[in-house]
Amino acid sequence: MKAPPLCPNIAANVHAHRAKKEYLEPLGLPAERPADWRAKALDKFRELLHERRSLSLYMDVCVRCGACADKCPFFLGTGDPNNMPVARAELFRKVYRRYFTAAGKLAGRLATAEDLTDDVLDQWFTYFYQCSECRRCAVFCPFGVDTAEITMAAREIMASIGVAPKYTTEVIRKANEIGNNLGIPLAAWKDSAEFLEQELKEQTGKDIKMPVDQEGAEVLLVPPSADMFANADTMMGYAKLFYAVGVNWTTSTYASEAGNFGLFLNYEQLQKINRRIVDAARNLRVKRLIIGECGHAWRAAQAFTDTLNGPLHFLQKPCPEHICEFAARLIRGGWLKLDKSANDGVTVTYHDPCNLARGGGLIDEPREILRAVVNDFREMPADTIREKTFCCGGGGGLLTEELMQTRMNGAKPRVEAFRTTGADLLATPCAICKAQFPEVFKHYGVDARVVGVMDLLAKAIVI
Amino acid sequence: MNLALPVLLYAAVAVFLLGMGWRISWWLRAPAPLKIVLTPAPKTFSGVAVRLAGEIFTFRSLFKGDRYFWIPAWLFHLSLALLLIGHLGGLVMPKVAEATLGLDESQFEHLAQVAGSVAGILAISTVLWLLIRRQVGERPRSISHFSDFFALILLLLILGTGSHMRFMGGLDIMQARQFVAGWLMFHLVPPPSNPVFAAHVILVSVLLIYIPFSKLVHIGGAALFSPTLNQRNNPRERRYAGPWGAAASISKSK
Ligand code: SF4
Ligand code: SF4
Repeated sequence: MKAPPLCPNIAANVHAHRAKKEYLEPLGLPAERPADWRAKALDKFRELLHERRSLSLYMDVCVRCGACADKCPFFLGTGDPNNMPVARAELFRKVYRRYFTAAGKLAGRLATAEDLTDDVLDQWFTYFYQCSECRRCAVFCPFGVDTAEITMAAREIMASIGVAPKYTTEVIRKANEIGNNLGIPLAAWKDSAEFLEQELKEQTGKDIKMPVDQEGAEVLLVPPSADMFANADTMMGYAKLFYAVGVNWTTSTYASEAGNFGLFLNYEQLQKINRRIVDAARNLRVKRLIIGECGHAWRAAQAFTDTLNGPLHFLQKPCPEHICEFAARLIRGGWLKLDKSANDGVTVTYHDPCNLARGGGLIDEPREILRAVVNDFREMPADTIREKTFCCGGGGGLLTEELMQTRMNGAKPRVEAFRTTGADLLATPCAICKAQFPEVFKHYGVDARVVGVMDLLAKAIVI
Repeated sequence: MNLALPVLLYAAVAVFLLGMGWRISWWLRAPAPLKIVLTPAPKTFSGVAVRLAGEIFTFRSLFKGDRYFWIPAWLFHLSLALLLIGHLGGLVMPKVAEATLGLDESQFEHLAQVAGSVAGILAISTVLWLLIRRQVGERPRSISHFSDFFALILLLLILGTGSHMRFMGGLDIMQARQFVAGWLMFHLVPPPSNPVFAAHVILVSVLLIYIPFSKLVHIGGAALFSPTLNQRNNPRERRYAGPWGAAASISKSK
């Protein structure tokens, strides 16, 4: 997509709603901004510089070459200069220079250093919540400067002084208190599982189980909770897949959420939410852990679990495994009987969720599955797929009503790429993408639907 | 004998070395608590080495990102590298360089003449290209700071004075070699009396002092130490507890 002309401050008035006391306190965050907030924020800043090499290095080495500038979907969709990754990072770096570098302390403005003022804090809250931590910018940076790392640090500092969005904190509170982001209680999870079992019975005539909290099962599947309630076809797809190969599996009500919004707030919550999955696997005495269709959940689970809450000796490798890896392995091994024609009549393309493609390198498996179960599969243009994929616009904790304008802007490059394919079905293994795209298609007048990879696979499985 | 020039150069080199050591140790002291690999992320050390070599020697990611900008960026760094090597061979150890290349003195002088001219012209034209880009391109202009122009102009002046000596003559190369040899052995010899030479050395000293305190610090291993580029993508195969143990922010909340 061609870069738009610069429109300064065009996105400056889109903000997330701020969390109040009832969402901050349960996460151990100050209920309101303390009087000495600046000192506290700078202490946190210093702490993070000491604890994250990514941050300390990326603060120093960016040469402002601008190679990343036109790579960000939120810049491409708005033209707001502060949405260029380098400029977004500079909002943070100017404060870094002011307090942590000799040049900034001595030369001040001349070294483009700036005090941490209320205005700067407002800028942070605005523009670090117009970044979906998609990491597309990092792919093109000569030093791999990952603006998502900077966004995460800025958010963590803000949270430490009680400045956080309502959406993220509310979701995390639910994940901590109930076990999933939607806040669905245990009983409703079981009801829903039973309901889907009946649905499967009607569709297939078979007794396909959707087990809940079944101790001693071989596999613990942790899906995003949205699969159980919104993406029923994906959820039934998992069940059908396990049924077809006779694997004894279960879901857990304690860890009924693969998603981990801690990634969008701070490491403490990231670790805490992640621990639920490990504890559930241990308590249910399963042998293997499989993660469902969710992008950031996969990054958190795949790259961080062993570090945060390991060792995972009691589970078989690969641990965790992605449902697409599992399914692709079965297809390769000839374990599934597939009827491609079940998916005839639609043209399918694949959207790489950012965190699968860039974080985990899970790029080929979903395509392997789709090629095996769909006759008419097309790719979007090469510079918009695989590790160069464009964010759906709703990742990184932006999937909330008041950020709708940001979300639609961020989705623009993805929609343009989608349009070139002529597809009417967008397959993607991510619950956030699945919630975002229907809004996007409506907004841009695109006549298409979004489905999971499992949905199409399940349709083609012959049992 | 004028001591100002050699002493300034000692000071500048000292500031540069200490400054770079200070920055690099600051980066390395912070742990990389989590695996934050970026696709395509190799699984092995040799894969990482290939990736890093690609980034450092060919600016691979930049090429992916912006081919038209990659040209001046890469040529600029290449010409600076050539000039650096040229100075090493021509000024610091001409005998070694001659022997390595198997050339006699006049052939070597000839080579230095040609290679130095080409690299110098290349460097000047790419610096100008980069300067103009920062002025003309809408996005580059909006992200450019005073310090970005300062760095480029400083380089331009260094290259200008250097090229002046190369093209306009006026520098006694033997005198320059003696000065450098003496300087290296802490046995001071008077510098060539050419004022352009003095200007060149002063500007280089300013640059050396400036590097550790500015974005130019990236020459200290920005890509090499970058966790998104130098980590192996094997968090499931091998437990990654962080080379320095998990960071405090992680262990604290345990
Ligand atoms: S590509 Fe990297 S070095 Fe260049 S401006 Fe962006 S973050 Fe900075
Ligand atoms: S991580 Fe993604 S959303 Fe954030 S600045 Fe980079 S490209 Fe933009």
